[in-house]
Amino acid sequence: MATPLPDSSQKYDLGFARWVYENVKGGDQLSMCMQCGACSGSCPIGTDMDHGPRKLIMMIRAGMKDTVLRSNTLWNCTSCYRCTVRCPRGIPVTSIVQGLAAKAVSLGYADEVVTSRFARSFWWSVTHFGRTDERLVTAKFYFSFGLAEGIKRGLGNLKIALDLILKGRMHLGLPHKVSDTGGLQAILEKAAEIEARDQLGEDKS
Amino acid sequence: MNSKDARKKYVYYPGCSSQGSSKHLDESLRAIIPELGLEMEELDDWNCCGASVGNIGGGPLPTTALTGRNLAKAETQHATDVITGCAACYLNTHGANERIKADVALQNKVNESLAVADLSYEASLQVRHACEVIVNEVGIDKIKERVTQPLDGLKVAGYVGCQTVRPFANTESGGNYDTFDDPEFLDQFAEACGAEAVDFNVKTSCCGGSISVISPEKTLHLIKEILQAAEDAGADVISTPCPLCQTNVEMYQAEINKKFGTDFNLPVVFYSQLMAKAFGLDGRKDAGLHRNTVRSEKLDILVQNA
Amino acid sequence: MSDYITRTGVYLCQGCGIGDAVSVDALEQIASTELKVPICRRHDFLCSNEGRALIDADLVGGDVNQPIVAACSPRAMTDRFTFDGATAVRANLREQVAWSQPAGEEDTQMLADDNLRMAIAQATETLPASAEPEGEYSRTLLVLGAGTTGLTAALEAARTGYEVLLVEQQDHVGGWANKWSKTMPHLPPYRDPQANSTDELIAATEAEPAITILTGALVTKTEGGPGKFTVTIELGDESRTEHVGAIVVATGWRPYDAGKLSHLGYGQSTDVVTGVELEEMLGEGPLQRKSDDKPAKTVVFVQCAGSLDPDHLPYCSSVCCGVSIKQALQIIRADPGANVYILFQELRTPGTAEEFYRQAQEAGIVFIKGKVRSVSADLGLVYDDMLLGEEVSLQNPDLVVLATGMVPNSTNPHIDPAETGADQLVSDVNPNAPLPLAIRVIDNNDDKSKSEPGENTEAVNGGAAAEPVLPGGALLNLQYVQGPHIPILTDGFSDSHYLCFPYETRRTGIYTCGPVRRPMNMAEAAEDAAGAALKAIQAIEGAARGAAMHPRVGDLSFPKFGLDICTKCRRCTIECPFGAIEEDERQFPILIESRCRRCGTCMGACPVRTISFDNYSPHMVSEMIAAIEVPDEFSEKPRILIFACENDAYPALDMAGLNRYQYSAFVRIIPVRCLGSINLLWISTALEKGFDGIMLMGCKSGDDYQCHYIKGSGLAKERLSKVGETLKSLMLEEERVTLEEVSIADSGRIPEVINGFVETIEAIGFNPFKGF
Repeated sequence: MATPLPDSSQKYDLGFARWVYENVKGGDQLSMCMQCGACSGSCPIGTDMDHGPRKLIMMIRAGMKDTVLRSNTLWNCTSCYRCTVRCPRGIPVTSIVQGLAAKAVSLGYADEVVTSRFARSFWWSVTHFGRTDERLVTAKFYFSFGLAEGIKRGLGNLKIALDLILKGRMHLGLPHKVSDTGGLQAILEKAAEIEARDQLGEDKS
Repeated sequence: MNSKDARKKYVYYPGCSSQGSSKHLDESLRAIIPELGLEMEELDDWNCCGASVGNIGGGPLPTTALTGRNLAKAETQHATDVITGCAACYLNTHGANERIKADVALQNKVNESLAVADLSYEASLQVRHACEVIVNEVGIDKIKERVTQPLDGLKVAGYVGCQTVRPFANTESGGNYDTFDDPEFLDQFAEACGAEAVDFNVKTSCCGGSISVISPEKTLHLIKEILQAAEDAGADVISTPCPLCQTNVEMYQAEINKKFGTDFNLPVVFYSQLMAKAFGLDGRKDAGLHRNTVRSEKLDILVQNA
Repeated sequence: MSDYITRTGVYLCQGCGIGDAVSVDALEQIASTELKVPICRRHDFLCSNEGRALIDADLVGGDVNQPIVAACSPRAMTDRFTFDGATAVRANLREQVAWSQPAGEEDTQMLADDNLRMAIAQATETLPASAEPEGEYSRTLLVLGAGTTGLTAALEAARTGYEVLLVEQQDHVGGWANKWSKTMPHLPPYRDPQANSTDELIAATEAEPAITILTGALVTKTEGGPGKFTVTIELGDESRTEHVGAIVVATGWRPYDAGKLSHLGYGQSTDVVTGVELEEMLGEGPLQRKSDDKPAKTVVFVQCAGSLDPDHLPYCSSVCCGVSIKQALQIIRADPGANVYILFQELRTPGTAEEFYRQAQEAGIVFIKGKVRSVSADLGLVYDDMLLGEEVSLQNPDLVVLATGMVPNSTNPHIDPAETGADQLVSDVNPNAPLPLAIRVIDNNDDKSKSEPGENTEAVNGGAAAEPVLPGGALLNLQYVQGPHIPILTDGFSDSHYLCFPYETRRTGIYTCGPVRRPMNMAEAAEDAAGAALKAIQAIEGAARGAAMHPRVGDLSFPKFGLDICTKCRRCTIECPFGAIEEDERQFPILIESRCRRCGTCMGACPVRTISFDNYSPHMVSEMIAAIEVPDEFSEKPRILIFACENDAYPALDMAGLNRYQYSAFVRIIPVRCLGSINLLWISTALEKGFDGIMLMGCKSGDDYQCHYIKGSGLAKERLSKVGETLKSLMLEEERVTLEEVSIADSGRIPEVINGFVETIEAIGFNPFKGF
């Protein structure tokens, strides 16, 4: 685990592929890619992506760190897993894309990305209540764009919200939560600490 | 079929949507599972599975620790199997469980995290999807036996979606219960209930998942294709096992009609709701059919109790 | 032989549907009454013991010495219809009549009748072939080159019981393989570089008493033919003469001259090395740069360096990918922190090398599909990424490895070409090859053009002086009229058919194997060596019996030259694909029998038709054509003559019958040894007789030839191109004579080919000479 994250001064950096192989979940399988394109052909919203999964993998190999970590491909994955099950080389494409997204967030590439905002709202709910409160996650996500945009987005989906409320499918009271929120929060903090520790350890060696 | 053995206890993990948008999946599952001869007990003080954006929001290890906490709790309930009806809960919990089982270092890290709350996971459990359990442990014949009010004349489009079958449906750990591109179990469920399963060629197409929640403008066309295929096949209802599929395909119909000039009005129900009805259970209390927002005459008839 | 009297007997078979398809009574009538064959018998199953006994009795009694078996194809039941001292002439009534024509029809009967008439004519003109080899035949093999291939060939031959003379030009044996740090895996699970076992191979060869190893030795002259080669070998100041029965050429390869690849940085930096040079660096422990002895942490392999490039080597050497994978694995295993990149255009990992490739992928070696444009002196590398569609400038790696291709040692670069006629080499490339020779244009006025490949790609026909890619002299310096070299293919490898008859060269008794034949790795070369050694042994044994080599294995006939009317036109000498015909001091042709493959290309070439075999001659085939009954034009029955090559076309016709494909009954098929043996006399005979169309059906010619005699079908095509003029002068349509390339797998195409030609002929109309 010796490969450091390359700096950004090079458009093409020979160390980046190895860094991904070693630091992204499932990345060690990436080297098996033979560029057949079954993943890109299977992707339901590949057309909305800057680069299909196949090309993303090729860019990783060519060492295009910034282009990869800024690619909207990371945020458009619907997690349908079609690429994963169809890959003739058994590469977990979905989890690699998600892993790269997580790296993009932690490396500060994705502060303004919509999915990243949503993920932060979601994680806020998880850490506070131990459960996802769909109403609060959505609200927090909408208002992460600012008050005006938040109201606009909220109103846009008003009918859906009303429907759910009418059918008893939107919880209106205090958020559901685990009884032992303190314990859960401690677990998550500890896990984050271990992860940071490992990451640091990797970079040092 | 093991149902004749000493009754196995399943620990039931309902997942967050059971308390919100997918209450009717939770209600109907709780109603049919005992009818199918299985015993289940709710997971004590369960937490969120991490969903598809947990990794991004919280990082890989904290997300895995969420599952660690759930499974550590389940172990204390003296069960061997955890069952869930939610596709995302299954994907995350099953996936994390298999990774923990295969990787001692990961298990150690998870346990190091759990230790702060005096918990520990021994990696002894099997995490299973409700559909897999019904196929492998109950069997289609048993479903037929339980049917008292066959859904005669109801045309059902079996929409499986993604994560219920992908990537685990045809793996050994996932129970090898169907294929990931052309699964048949949902059609078999419908037929067992006396309904007609229509030929539906987009059964594992993607509804857009959480992207449909975040940026529906990117994915409405995907949902439209699913609706179109069901309508073209002459379906009365779409049946699905997945909470997010159910919500997305149901809730966005109005917006799709506006955007594409279509005229969809297709109820989207859970297979378990149909089963509850076919078993002669209560259309509201047990099947939760009153909670579906897109209504049709056929659906309204179903809600009525005989 | 002149007092030999042919006594024919016809044996008609009624089995396998023949009796149902045609009237055997009518056939008997033809044999006995019309053609007056003294003995004619029939049987329900001629191939049964009882049926055979019928023939045996006549042979033993002396009533018959040339049986005519009218039954199945001459390709079927050969063991049943071969007799002591007699080989049956066959009339094909099964595959080409009963199985390919409707039963009971008039046209079917006419076809069967003609097939019998032709067989009787053929039998009448057939003399038994016999060979009387004279003098001493050597049973020793000469193996030229003592690398992996040569050592293996010598060992295989010695262990089979033959004496071997192993001749190596260098002062030691082992060849390139001595340098390899490790080798590619050729044992399961095919995933890891393997220890180099060359030392053991050398030890085993040296320990073998039947092998005499001569190092520092050069073959300077080779005369004779299989069984009787006389080879002159120079050993320093000493010169010795050896007699050998067959020769295995295992001269191997050399890496393409990286000095020509300056655009890839070679020569500009010591940190740009070839794969061969890297081997020695790998052997010395942890990988270090040559320039500053610093560890090479980032290594980029450039595949196809100078390969697949019309300015350098136009072909793929197939081995370099596996070698680079091996080296990359060695680097990454010695230093798991190393970044190893392999830039490839077409990664070729045939067979088990795919496992090796996967191993490399799993080890984290990064594979990129891209064509490298340039490497600068400071190792700045620019490539076109074929999958991203963009030009990529890589940061400078520590080491660049050029995977250069294999150049065959079909010539000896250490010998001055002028001495041994290297000029003849280029002209002896397959005449029908569609590809231009890989050559560089030498422009004496502009030295710069030499160092910039890509700008000087004028082809051979450009007129400028051309330097062949294979400089140097002849390996064996053959004292043949056709020149000193073993003929080569366009890319410089020796001319043999990769798949159908590997090792065979166009010089009988001389077999090439290993990378001089095609690019290959060590495991393949060892297998190749065993194959060539066995072929050489066959040649030794066959020559001693006077029998032919592939493909007419065991044939004892050979061409005889009627020198009384020979015009010394030299066509036979020049056109023989195997250089079997030499010239005496008066320039008359002399056949070196053991070199002859019995194809009859000389017979087809001879303008005065004075070359013939005892059992195959211009006269014999003319008589067969004459025996066919050609109906007049009022009968509305055209006749098409097909000369079908016995190697592929005739079997394809048989298989069409086997599959019960029906085709026109208007065709009459004569098997020929090779299209090259077709004498134009036969075509004029047939046209004069009133045949409406003639089809030559044979193997593919050209660079990807399928012709079993290599040049035969190409020569036929060339000769046929001249027939058009003759036809025109006779006011006949050119379309009446055609050549169709048919492979052995083409049986499904036979009806379409035949019926299509019949339609063409019917559209043109009947031959106006009919009835004259």
